[in-house]
Amino acid sequence: MLFIALWAITSIAQNKQLLYGVEDIPQNLMLNPGSKVMQKKHYGIPLFSQFHFNLGMSGVSVYDIFGKPGVDINTRIRNKIFELSNKDFFTSTQQLELINFGWLAKNKLYFSGGIYEEFDFILYFPRDLAILAWEGNQDYLNYEFDLGEVSTTGDLMTVYHFGVNKQVTKKLTAGIRLKVYSSMFSYRSTNNNGAFVTRLGDENSPNIYEHSLENVNMSVETSGYASLRDMDGASQVTGKVLGRAFFGGNLGVGIDIGGTYDITNRLTASASVLDIGAVFHTKDVETYKVDSNYTLDGIELIFPALVDGQGTLPYYDDLEDEVEREVPIDTVNNSYTQLRPMKLNASLSYSFGSPIDGGTDCNCYDMSGGLIRNQAIGLQYYAISRPKGLQMAGTIFYYRRLFDFLSAKATYTLDSYSSSNVGMGMFMDFGKFNFYVAADNLLSYGNLAKAKSVSLQLGFNIKIARE
Amino acid sequence: MFLLVACIKDTDFEQANDVALTPTVELNLIHFDLSASDFFDSNTSNPILTVRDTTELRFLNDTEIQEGLIRAEFYFKFTNSIARNFIADFQFLSEENDTSFTTQTTITQGTLATPIITEFTENVEGDAILDLTMASKVVVSVTIPSSDATLTGDLNLKSKTTYYTEFQ
Repeated sequence: MLFIALWAITSIAQNKQLLYGVEDIPQNLMLNPGSKVMQKKHYGIPLFSQFHFNLGMSGVSVYDIFGKPGVDINTRIRNKIFELSNKDFFTSTQQLELINFGWLAKNKLYFSGGIYEEFDFILYFPRDLAILAWEGNQDYLNYEFDLGEVSTTGDLMTVYHFGVNKQVTKKLTAGIRLKVYSSMFSYRSTNNNGAFVTRLGDENSPNIYEHSLENVNMSVETSGYASLRDMDGASQVTGKVLGRAFFGGNLGVGIDIGGTYDITNRLTASASVLDIGAVFHTKDVETYKVDSNYTLDGIELIFPALVDGQGTLPYYDDLEDEVEREVPIDTVNNSYTQLRPMKLNASLSYSFGSPIDGGTDCNCYDMSGGLIRNQAIGLQYYAISRPKGLQMAGTIFYYRRLFDFLSAKATYTLDSYSSSNVGMGMFMDFGKFNFYVAADNLLSYGNLAKAKSVSLQLGFNIKIARE
Repeated sequence: MFLLVACIKDTDFEQANDVALTPTVELNLIHFDLSASDFFDSNTSNPILTVRDTTELRFLNDTEIQEGLIRAEFYFKFTNSIARNFIADFQFLSEENDTSFTTQTTITQGTLATPIITEFTENVEGDAILDLTMASKVVVSVTIPSSDATLTGDLNLKSKTTYYTEFQ
């Protein structure tokens, strides 16, 4: 119950810096298909092998808005609107592994596969629109409110994956994973352009102001939405969406690649690129587009000579018609291709302390070039491609195997959210039963309201060790 | 375990009830260009002392406006090159054509060489806002004291409204 309560309020950035490079858990292969594999077989406990949820905000925390320092909440919101930039964002990612399994084949290849569900959402802060909504246009005459700041995407999909991992040489392990995406629902509104501006008219202007949409070119692409629009009832919609989880939706393909290289028997480098791929939205697609240059002058009265009982002109209807004609929202059904948000991980680690396998230089547990020692420190780099460019994070970590059955990893991470992100993960083996839990932003746990993002990952596996 | 000590404190989510958007919106209203000949019927050689037109302003009695409008300031700018003073009447009507709000001003006469600008501001707040937001159309009447076939010049109107709002 406590975990469930935490799931509701904590978050996991897409960055899984606590799990990356941790060979104690099979989910490591999902972050680097070319990581070293220690076990002979693994099975994730269905639905419980990994849960992942993220709610991140850059530049603003709950406390910033709802804290109690005696300042009016509206003043705090206003200050925050002006403090944030259009590069700030709100993001939410959730993943749930349905199945995850793997085994070492006779030819020494480690095969792994599974299914997971992913929800991913990002909304950049549309600062100018927020100012317009909050303040109105009175103090912003001649100011061009940038409509191009609108940038958001959302996806709900099922991912089927199968990968292979091989220790190529004593020093090098490499792997690749093929993914098939089945998109249940998707939308995006990026690459928008245009401005709204209220200018004071001159002598030749028809009216006091010119309210103008200038070079507006905006669109929202949707897939899996049009067929839901006319449905009534949540159960109908849910049934339809879930039907798409099993290859019923728009399909896509992608790959993950990665490798691990032992530079010396203490120094190890690794890197992976995940989700190099795209979803091809061809079915049930609907795109809404606006392309416009329009100036609103108000209503011009022309005082027609009226015969008794005859009404005057329908000025207001005419104006509405004019707006619809000049600012048309077109619906088109073009297919579109959507690149997956690609992720890059890289690390360099230095291991030290006593070798974990009996203290000799012969590591019979793992015949790779690197010697597994009970401690390691290192650096990690993470980047994800987002609509407005890469978002990056850097991590310093310390890993220690405390007992045969228990390892821990501590991290310090610098990212878009904060520069004081300390995390900790624990990885446990009780016989064949493997359990892990990892959380970041621990310094905020004293008051989660002050956190801009918090991370929690946990899962259960059955892991069968190599003899 | 370290996970279980997380908490949220020093926050008051009741404050969400106090959040209020208070945008101040500048928006064009109506405009027109009347010429002196509009006040004289050349067919019958009779003066037309009052011209009148009506337009709907359907947004005025929207529920959001009724609940959120705190104050409205109308600004009318007349440019007159006709050698007459005028009276301009703005009569706001409800959907049932009941008069809910009126305002009126006098426009100073000008000449072709020197058009005269008359500015008129009508501030509406308090109970009068309730009357104004009952309306969904406005009847504009322009009255000239006298006219004849030789009268020349134009009467131009530009207008806007400043809407002071509070949405909770």
